[in-house]
Amino acid sequence: MTTSTGPLVLPGEALDPSLIPSHPKHPLRLGPGLRHIPPSDIVPTVAGQLTTNSHKNSLWVEANSNRYIPQQNDPILATLLRTAPDSYLLTLSPHTAPASLPHLAFEGATKKTRPILSPGQLVYARVALANKHMDPELECVNPATGKADGLGPITGPGCAFDISLGFARRLLMARSREEGGVGVLEMLAGEEPGITGGGLSFETAVGRNGRVWVGSESAATVIVVGRALQETDRNGLGMEGQRRFVKKLLREMK
Amino acid sequence: MPREAEPSLNEKQFVAQALQENLRLDGREFDQYRPLELSFGDQYGVADVTLGRTRVLAKATAEVTVPYADRPLDGVFTIATELSPMASPSFEVNRPTETEVLLSRLLEKTVRRSGALDTESLCLVAGQKCWSVRVDVHVLAHDGNLIDASCAAVVAALRHFRKPDTSMDAGVLTVYTPAEREPVPLSWLHSPFCVTWSFFGEEGDIAVLDATWLEEQVRVGSCTVSLNKHGEICQIAKLGGTPVDAVALLQCTNVALARVKEFSDMLDAKLAEDAKRRDKGGFMAELRAENDR
Amino acid sequence: MPLDTSTYNLALLRVDGRRWNELRRVHAQIRTQAAADGSSYLEMGHTKVMCVVTGPTEPGPRRGGAGGGAAGGGGGTGGTGGKAEIVVSIVIAGFSSVDRKRYGRGDKRTLEMQSTVANAVAASLHTHLFPHSQITISLHVLSQDGSLLAALINAATLACVDAGIPMADYVAACTAGSTSTYAANDEGADPLLDLNHQEEQELPGLTVATLGDSDRVAVLVCESRVQVSRLEGMLAVGVDGCKQVRDILDRVVREKGRRMIQEGTVERGLGVNDMDVD
Repeated sequence: MTTSTGPLVLPGEALDPSLIPSHPKHPLRLGPGLRHIPPSDIVPTVAGQLTTNSHKNSLWVEANSNRYIPQQNDPILATLLRTAPDSYLLTLSPHTAPASLPHLAFEGATKKTRPILSPGQLVYARVALANKHMDPELECVNPATGKADGLGPITGPGCAFDISLGFARRLLMARSREEGGVGVLEMLAGEEPGITGGGLSFETAVGRNGRVWVGSESAATVIVVGRALQETDRNGLGMEGQRRFVKKLLREMK
Repeated sequence: MPREAEPSLNEKQFVAQALQENLRLDGREFDQYRPLELSFGDQYGVADVTLGRTRVLAKATAEVTVPYADRPLDGVFTIATELSPMASPSFEVNRPTETEVLLSRLLEKTVRRSGALDTESLCLVAGQKCWSVRVDVHVLAHDGNLIDASCAAVVAALRHFRKPDTSMDAGVLTVYTPAEREPVPLSWLHSPFCVTWSFFGEEGDIAVLDATWLEEQVRVGSCTVSLNKHGEICQIAKLGGTPVDAVALLQCTNVALARVKEFSDMLDAKLAEDAKRRDKGGFMAELRAENDR
Repeated sequence: MPLDTSTYNLALLRVDGRRWNELRRVHAQIRTQAAADGSSYLEMGHTKVMCVVTGPTEPGPRRGGAGGGAAGGGGGTGGTGGKAEIVVSIVIAGFSSVDRKRYGRGDKRTLEMQSTVANAVAASLHTHLFPHSQITISLHVLSQDGSLLAALINAATLACVDAGIPMADYVAACTAGSTSTYAANDEGADPLLDLNHQEEQELPGLTVATLGDSDRVAVLVCESRVQVSRLEGMLAVGVDGCKQVRDILDRVVREKGRRMIQEGTVERGLGVNDMDVD
């Protein structure tokens, strides 16, 4: 992936031209946090770290904000607010406008066989449509294949926890351990050598809107995983710190 | 107006279920408080209490005013609470919610009506002049248990506060500034603290101390007991909710007494530490001629 | 005039001639207003309270919530939508106490009492049977002589019984006090039942409400300083007094029912004994 992080930039700062990558074939792609002022000005709009990907020739600013702005194709964990005639209304973040999830946007749903959801239900969905003019729209099915891919209402015992947006992004990376620096999930599942007492079985659903659901038959497991995630997030623990905390939690569990 | 954020059904069910299994979401015991941190400001009378992620700031001020007509020998003592959108977007300024009314009444009964502050000592000239002590409570972050945190902040602020020294000289009242004479502490009789119990379960048989915001949304009843370390109950408020066995309530009161003694000791220690920090060594230290270089 | 407790140990009588465990005269009537869904009038000694219940009805304008647009059939989130909301309003007449006193609308003590009565009654009513609706309880205080909160809770319970709202049991309330002061550690302190205004001002006391005959406490309010060791005695006397109050309330309801059958206003229904139960 060859991403490299650059310096800290502030909104409105002029960018050093040498930081902007170039590629013979791909045009330059700007990610979140940058604004293109034609003809050739690129200006950061948020404070954060300038990151480049030379492989895809893209440039963006890595910033940790507190309010989630819906982006297309983001997986999110939302709560059902109420049922409208043709869709469900779900809240992505507290005190914001709800997003709509059409009744038919589920796997194998027809007008007659749609899933019945009750207010307060947690739903794992993907953002289908998000632009600044309209309320966001969600979907629980991959429109190309028609399969759910793990999306849909969350059943089964477990609890949702609040995490910061940056941490959610790190958890959602393909290789969150190496690139995101978050190893607690592997440690607790017993896949990390050197940590005995792991081997907990649980499943997680990470929402880009700062919510993660941890499900397991045992309530103690859910609480341990949730605490590990929140502690890593709130106190910015590195790998060593995470190891120590996980060991402490597993000891307390015995 | 933003609506109150509600936790999802899954979360509510999980918290209730976990409590049945003797587990709390943050791994605490049922009768364990979150770490309580207390710090004082540079000015006298500013106390900042942090209880987990709940944060409350209390500031005590005093000014000279006219006493009430029906109580010419007493000073004026008021406690004002502010639940602003800083604590949670569902609070609005100047629109008291039920939470705010109950918090304000509880603080009033605990600190004002129990006579923690001797209002007679606030009188300067009978019927004409008296001190009006006002404590402003600002809730900065709301993650459950505002009552206990606010009460601790109010008591800490009042005990930390120093009012300007005064003297009566043949009918003329002189109020000295802090530069002229050291301000004096208030006449404090006893330190009450609030302990809030939350009840869960069908019969209200699971009792838990210091509930977080999520636990507060799930609870079926609550009871706030205010005590001081001498074992005097200043007030009890169980304002409805699922009925709880009377014997269980008495046990809750006894555990509350133990907690209050801990709080009292902690507050005494923090005040002593703060006094030491401010104490510049007395007169000899003031007269030193050496530089700090 | 300060309360003279010197006669207590001598004659074991209080100022109004009661012993330590005697309730004042409780007089109650239900269906005092035919137009309302449920109504009651209650006197506990000289404390006189009227209550009118309307409901379950359409929920009123939403207070404090965004509400949103037309919600279709879904209704709000699970918390508010699943149960009936109980709204209580208390009006204390200016002539109710010895000195005329005008009570403002935003008086915090009144707001607290409203919240307490609502939560106390909600503990017993089967609110889950009426989602998306509202039960309004209006209380008027005509005369105050101590035990105000207890009288309000009792009147609200009676009016809800009259309105026919399904409930688990009566919520009966009364007050209890102690002859000791907070500083004294005397063993001779006696608990007292049902305090009047003078006793309430001078002595420590508490208001307790229980669910029917059980020992389960729905409301416990103590606003005076008292030693922890006194609490058990006062609570025990209070809970016992609540049981007596519950019997009185039950008698009032049954008497009214009997009278209504006699007058032919209602048909005699099947009693439990007459039903064919498998």
